[in-house]
Amino acid sequence: RGFFFTGLILLFYLVFYGFLAALFTFTMWVMLQTLSSDIPKYRDRIASPGLMISPKPDTALEFYFNKSDSQSYAEYVSTLRQFLETYDDSKQAQNIDCTPGKVFDQNDEAVKKACRFNLSELGQCSGKEDKTFGYSRGTPCVLVKMNRIIGLKPEGEPYIQCSSKEEGTVQINYFPPGGLIDLMYFPYYGKSLHAHYLQPLVAVQLAINSNSTKEEMTIECKILGSPNLKNEDDRDKFLGRIAFKVQMTE
Amino acid sequence: MTPHCTPLTPAAPPQGLGPGAAAERLLRDGPNELRPPRGTPECLKFARQLAGGLQCLMWVAAAICLVAFGIQRGQGDLTSADDVGPGRLGPSRGWAGWMPGCQGGKGGWMVVTYPVQATVIREGDKFQIDANQLVVGDVVEIKGGDRVPADIRILSAQGCKVDNSSLTGESEPQTRSPECTHESPLETRNIAFFSTMCLEGTATGLVINTGDRTIIGRIASLASGVENEKTPIAIEIEHFVDIIAGLAIFFGGTFFVVAMVIGYPFLRAMVFFMAIVVAYVPEGLLATVTVCLSLTAKRLARKNCVVKNLEAVETLGSTSVICSDKTGTLTQNRMTVAHLWFDNQIHTADTTEDQSGQSFDQSSETWRALSRIVTLCNRAVFKPGQDNVPVAKREVIGDASETALLKFAEATVGNVAEQRSRYPKVFEVPFTSANKFQVSVHEAGERLLLVLKGAPERVLERCGSVMLKGQELPLDQQWREAFESAYAELGGRGERVLGFCQGYLEGPGEGLSAEQLPGEGLCFTGLVAMIDPPRASVPAAVRKCRTAGIRVIMVTGDHPITARAIAGSVGIISEGSETPEDLAARLPSVRPRRQARARVLTGAQLQEMEPAALVDALRTHPEMVFARTSPQQKLIIVESCQRLGAIVAVTGDGVNDSPALKKADIGVAMGIAGSDAAKNAADMILLDDNFASIVTGVEQGRLIFDNLKKSIAYTLTKNIPELTPYLVYITASVPLHLGPSRTPGPLPDAWAPPSPDAWAPRGRQALSPPRAAGAMQSFAGFVDYFVALAQEGWWPALVLGLRPRWEDTREQELQDSYGQQWVRLPYAAPIRALCPYRAASHPLYGPSVAPTHPLYGPYMDRTQSPYGPIQTPVWLLHIPYTVPICSCTGPYMA
Repeated sequence: RGFFFTGLILLFYLVFYGFLAALFTFTMWVMLQTLSSDIPKYRDRIASPGLMISPKPDTALEFYFNKSDSQSYAEYVSTLRQFLETYDDSKQAQNIDCTPGKVFDQNDEAVKKACRFNLSELGQCSGKEDKTFGYSRGTPCVLVKMNRIIGLKPEGEPYIQCSSKEEGTVQINYFPPGGLIDLMYFPYYGKSLHAHYLQPLVAVQLAINSNSTKEEMTIECKILGSPNLKNEDDRDKFLGRIAFKVQMTE
Repeated sequence: MTPHCTPLTPAAPPQGLGPGAAAERLLRDGPNELRPPRGTPECLKFARQLAGGLQCLMWVAAAICLVAFGIQRGQGDLTSADDVGPGRLGPSRGWAGWMPGCQGGKGGWMVVTYPVQATVIREGDKFQIDANQLVVGDVVEIKGGDRVPADIRILSAQGCKVDNSSLTGESEPQTRSPECTHESPLETRNIAFFSTMCLEGTATGLVINTGDRTIIGRIASLASGVENEKTPIAIEIEHFVDIIAGLAIFFGGTFFVVAMVIGYPFLRAMVFFMAIVVAYVPEGLLATVTVCLSLTAKRLARKNCVVKNLEAVETLGSTSVICSDKTGTLTQNRMTVAHLWFDNQIHTADTTEDQSGQSFDQSSETWRALSRIVTLCNRAVFKPGQDNVPVAKREVIGDASETALLKFAEATVGNVAEQRSRYPKVFEVPFTSANKFQVSVHEAGERLLLVLKGAPERVLERCGSVMLKGQELPLDQQWREAFESAYAELGGRGERVLGFCQGYLEGPGEGLSAEQLPGEGLCFTGLVAMIDPPRASVPAAVRKCRTAGIRVIMVTGDHPITARAIAGSVGIISEGSETPEDLAARLPSVRPRRQARARVLTGAQLQEMEPAALVDALRTHPEMVFARTSPQQKLIIVESCQRLGAIVAVTGDGVNDSPALKKADIGVAMGIAGSDAAKNAADMILLDDNFASIVTGVEQGRLIFDNLKKSIAYTLTKNIPELTPYLVYITASVPLHLGPSRTPGPLPDAWAPPSPDAWAPRGRQALSPPRAAGAMQSFAGFVDYFVALAQEGWWPALVLGLRPRWEDTREQELQDSYGQQWVRLPYAAPIRALCPYRAASHPLYGPSVAPTHPLYGPYMDRTQSPYGPIQTPVWLLHIPYTVPICSCTGPYMA
């Protein structure tokens, strides 16, 4: 009798959890059917993009290197190299040249085309002339990019502007000039529709004054010039802005 | 020892005290009123609620979470605001726990709070003063209709009668006179007690005790000395909370260790620990219990049960023995003609309250004669102006038997007044305890009609003939035997039997005297038997109790035979059950009488019994009736029942019932007949004094236990769904989607209909945490969770194993399944805010989707919703889960 009952209870739980698992799978399946694989159902949670840099140091957003010691910045260089590989001309063969200064709407096209981003726009930070991206010369490059958000169309003329909290320690150069982000790279249509999309980059070259070496500098970059891109959110320090530290020794 | 018997020295001070002396004594003894028992201050009760076991856990949790929040905030972690959640809980829980306490506190002390005026003689002058200004030594006057203002020793009295029923249980008016008749102050005639009623006459008395030193004050303080027993639900909940707390700490500890091993900082792990503890704490429990009980109490009030103490509602449900009074509770508290014997045959009269029953054959000539005697030989009259009132409800001037006969005559023959006016009364001899009969002589045309009623044997003595179908037959031996057997039979049914006879006299009616009336040769017409019949609803109620496994014990001050008869007719002693005496009569040879189902014990027998013997008697005889008991013995009976492990409900009305009412697990006071002290000591008051109302209460009490179980189960189902996210979080590395804050408390399920087995006999009830429903809610919750994430761009395949990157503070470009890159706060936000999981894991999720709508429903303003709305399709998704949850929780919890 005891055995029979144990069996019965086990059977009950087996059936019960089996049924639950089936119901779980079924309802999940039904719900996932209602989703498109191209565009998320709701995009209300990310209205404004965050800013991010490359390379991204392992520990925190802090760059420590010795310009005479290639080992100390090898990782930054390799990260940048790796990152820029996707921007290589050979990878951009099928990308088209778009009209600069204009949002590139292609809602009606079945296959969305990606705009070409010429590495040459990054000038001294493109890694073509200087294989160390300026790290060996005391003018390190950091790439600033805006997070991809489906359907985002910046208004106005967005550009990146950085500043050092410690004045006069560093001179900042932007590539493309003025840190401009061209509107032709927007909007983004999502991973599956917009397969070869490349997000526009802004290279920030930090020409550190020779008397400011060994000092820790805090660089803050912001996206400006576009009313619909937030950069002042109290709660989120990465929304439209980013801050990182740089300390160079000789 | 017996100061009321010592002669007064100096002899009665007729002029009374002087105002100075009175003021002095008032200062010394305090005012003449009963002091309410000292209650616990509300703030202390509140504090106690805040310091209970679970609450302490909550406080610690709140403190740790606040500390963690502070530290995390200091470290710049802005997502930690959820940790504050438990901090809010402590006080609110305390509040919820306090509320039932408030409920219980109300009702307070109700004894003698009305201002009573007393007539006092001070320095020879009469004053009307407030009774609470009386002092020992005052001389007071009382008259019919007054409430006795203090314990007074009678100095002089003119026909003074008092109603001591609230004190001693004696319902007969008691004569008060200056003589000391008994050593016991309760028995003697020369003391009138505080708060009793003076019914008629006047008296002058000396105040001997005031305030709490009066007899009633002493009984009241005795009652407040009896501890209130803890209710079964309270014990059960305590036990249950212990288990839950143990489980909570065990699971919390386990997760704490796991989190530490995974490599979380100590504080974070501590917050997890707290989250689990908080998840486990059934903080909705108290509120649930309170609301359930309040709703039922409200419903009971509509059914004439006023519950003073909320927890009593539930106790009522677990009652296993009801000790009930007879008069007024089981019976209608009015004498009614039940049987008649004439033409050598017993006829049954209609005793129902609304005269809806069968009547007997009224065609016989004998009946006509008998009804005429009943009508004429009766001093009772209806109060005027009641022609539209049903006969049974009309007010009558006269004693109980005459009232019964008058109403009986009016109901069966009709128009007593007209009948009486046809036979004008010329002479009468009223009933006295010496002659035990009543005679009246009426004009009947030429002759005079003599009608006589009284004790049957006395009536028969005066008869020479007997009436059969209108014919007078000689009263031979055969008739005498028939009479004897009828008399015995009716008497054996516990009925009060009266004999009736008539005779004709010649000559004028003037100047007739008692000596001239014939002492024999009258014609015997019949017997009428009266009883206080049981209430119509009582037999069914008693039957219901029996099927429910509740034992009904009758405790009455009446004669054992009457008690036995009523017990038999309402089913307390079932048909075919025999008492040891019955057995002895049937089988004289069988010695041990233990197999007798029923037993009638009298107060005298009870007094001689050892307590153990009473317990033994209660154990061996399932059907017990206690007759001729004093209210003090009720306490002994209650205690004996409790010694058998029973949960006892006791009814009572007198002041001296109050210790028994207090001692009982549930004291039931009578709303109509009950004294204030009894009402004060009771947990419940029956507004209609009807036994059936107790049974309704029991039914509701049982229902409440079932519903409480359901509600508690729903309250607890949330534990599992609140725990599973942590499990999945640890095992499948899915981002955590619940902070240690809370879902709103559930609404209790007090509206559910009684389950069919509510009336099955039951033993001790146990609460058990539900698992199946919780599992289902977890599954439903996870569907919501995954779907909501997927809708925002995070497909399940990506979400599994996402935790390390999700929690990486440097990861500000986390890619979702669509290639979008999220900064940390927004990607934390959908999860924190979406929390449809919370909705799905909500206890009410199963029973109903609607109540949670304001919190989680679509189209709700996001700013007003703490968790953000769930989009409509997800909402619809809940529905398939509601069916199994609803259908599963029911049987599971039964």
